[in-house]
Amino acid sequence: MELESRYLKTAIQVKAREKEPAHRRWRWPRQAVGYLLIAPAVIYLIMIIAYPLFNTIRMSVTEISYPEKKTEFVGLQHYNRLLSLKPVTLPPLTDEKTGAVQLDEEGNVVFPRSRSVLRTDEYEGFSEWFTIDAFGKRHVMAAKDPIFWRSLKNTIVFTIASTILHALVGGFFALILNEKWVSKRIRNVARGLLILPWLFSMAASALMWALLYHPLGPPNYLLQASGLVSRPINFLGDRDLAIWSLVAVNVWKYFPFYMVMILGGLQSIPLDLYDAARVDGASRFQRFRFVTLPLLRDVLVATSAIDLITTFGVFDVVMLLTQGGPFRSTQTLAFYTWRVGFTDINIGYGSAISVLMLLMVGTGALLYLRLVTRKEAIYGQTTTRI
Amino acid sequence: MVRQLQGFKGRIPLGYVLMAALVVIAMMMVLFPIIWMFFTSIRPIRETLSHPPVWIPREITLEAYNQLLSAPRQIRFLRNTYFIAIPTALLSIGLGSLAAYGFSRFRIRGGRVILLSILSLQMLPAVALIIPFFNMALWLDIHHTFLAVILADTGFALPISIWMLKGYMDSIPVDLEEAAMVDGCSRLQALYKIVLPLALPGLVGTATFAFLWAWNEFMFAVILAAGYPDVAPLTIAISEFITESGRDWSSIMALNVIATLPLMVLFIFLQRWVVQGMTAGAVK
Repeated sequence: MELESRYLKTAIQVKAREKEPAHRRWRWPRQAVGYLLIAPAVIYLIMIIAYPLFNTIRMSVTEISYPEKKTEFVGLQHYNRLLSLKPVTLPPLTDEKTGAVQLDEEGNVVFPRSRSVLRTDEYEGFSEWFTIDAFGKRHVMAAKDPIFWRSLKNTIVFTIASTILHALVGGFFALILNEKWVSKRIRNVARGLLILPWLFSMAASALMWALLYHPLGPPNYLLQASGLVSRPINFLGDRDLAIWSLVAVNVWKYFPFYMVMILGGLQSIPLDLYDAARVDGASRFQRFRFVTLPLLRDVLVATSAIDLITTFGVFDVVMLLTQGGPFRSTQTLAFYTWRVGFTDINIGYGSAISVLMLLMVGTGALLYLRLVTRKEAIYGQTTTRI
Repeated sequence: MVRQLQGFKGRIPLGYVLMAALVVIAMMMVLFPIIWMFFTSIRPIRETLSHPPVWIPREITLEAYNQLLSAPRQIRFLRNTYFIAIPTALLSIGLGSLAAYGFSRFRIRGGRVILLSILSLQMLPAVALIIPFFNMALWLDIHHTFLAVILADTGFALPISIWMLKGYMDSIPVDLEEAAMVDGCSRLQALYKIVLPLALPGLVGTATFAFLWAWNEFMFAVILAAGYPDVAPLTIAISEFITESGRDWSSIMALNVIATLPLMVLFIFLQRWVVQGMTAGAVK
């Protein structure tokens, strides 16, 4: 009946349309409408993202001189400088007469100064990145741009540490929120409160933490009062500690993302699986290990992949709290790019660093997903960071 | 509450109490920075930086807020943030809903590939774009204007908006539009008379995300607006404050509290959508 009236209406419309003048009757072909609808967004993204991206790649093979703004093609010169590494092995100094290995007062083997070797013509343009003493010899890794390599190391440490801690803290709270609470309302309030850090901008979070990291801040007081340290800790000024202080801020801000994702995953696990496991005599831990974890796998893989990719480009927390210092110990690749491009105004070189970053993110993401995932899990999930 | 506790047959197990204590401690640790910010804004500075710390404010003063509300320079940063975030949200859902409708309802050749490449654009480290984007802004003579920041922010908020809205529109049955079109609606009429009203919750959620994105964005603000108080958003004001010497913690924290309050209110009302969006689109 309903169907019939539909056809009837269509027939009436067709009749009505036949009476219209020809130009009114013309309509966009059905397919074209689809393309027209997506066109504005696609054109926008091409102009605002894809075209600048193409420009970055193009500029990475040029050198722009100022102030005359002359662009010169330099090929892969920037990449060569960034990626050049040369290992040097130095044998210990020996006594000229006896040929025995020289020892200092404390009985340590004495090596020639690496700088004296790096000053030779063969190592022109190279300087020391790191040094390891092993197998009775000194191994020096020389690089044309050791700052790039140090930034890369900082970025990797920051990214991996943040991702693991995000997952642990977020997972902890998700598991707790998934337990039986005294009242559902209290549980929902707790969830809301725990999402709060995610709501603050990184700038606002950095500001709160800057006050906590103050020498007179509460964490320092508690550490001193409990006798763990005697002098206030300089959280952001200590070469070894600063990067971990930044990781803490990052973990605090972004764990809610994992919490929400994992909570969603936990709530989609059918309860009868747990009942079945219980009947089979599985302990609490076994139920977690053999029911919860395998079923959370896809969520964890997707979430951590997004997290790894976005954290690799970390810039804001570094810029806000340490500006890469002290002694470049917190300088990440993104911050180095910014510094080269906007402080040193070395546009070609800065572009080359960002192209390398893109390649690293791309291959890193592919490798990671290859290693840990079944294909279909990824396509359902995508991303951004707020 | 009492009734539920009786589920334990009169006795509350020790493990449960320990667990509850652990939860309370962990939550305190998470919330402490926020509480400390609030306390700092309502008490005199000497109490903030005293040794040992004053845990609960003894002397409450609203002087910082008073000062703020009478200082247009500080409030301007807040205004700038809104001038950037609101247009970004509108532009994102405007372009986003059209595209999402196209992807959801039409067979587009290579549609899946286009959609996936749009989404992968989002994952790019933004730092890879700052140099050419800055050049482009110079060339168009729009650097240090709201427009430049809005354009950049929308570029990154748009892909996720398309994704979220497409998911939402996929869940609306096609029959409704077909019926409307049979009744004489055009395609576009069907979109804004049938689909958009039904997708309203999705639109609100997506707009909230785009808004928050622009609100929090820092890198493009640094290159396009830093040093220009007429366009610099709050994030820039905060970053300049952190590196400043002789800082007035009370007033900056008060500014931060004022800035965050609307977000909290928004969040309380939209929590369901925000959480849904976070899981559906996996927005970190």
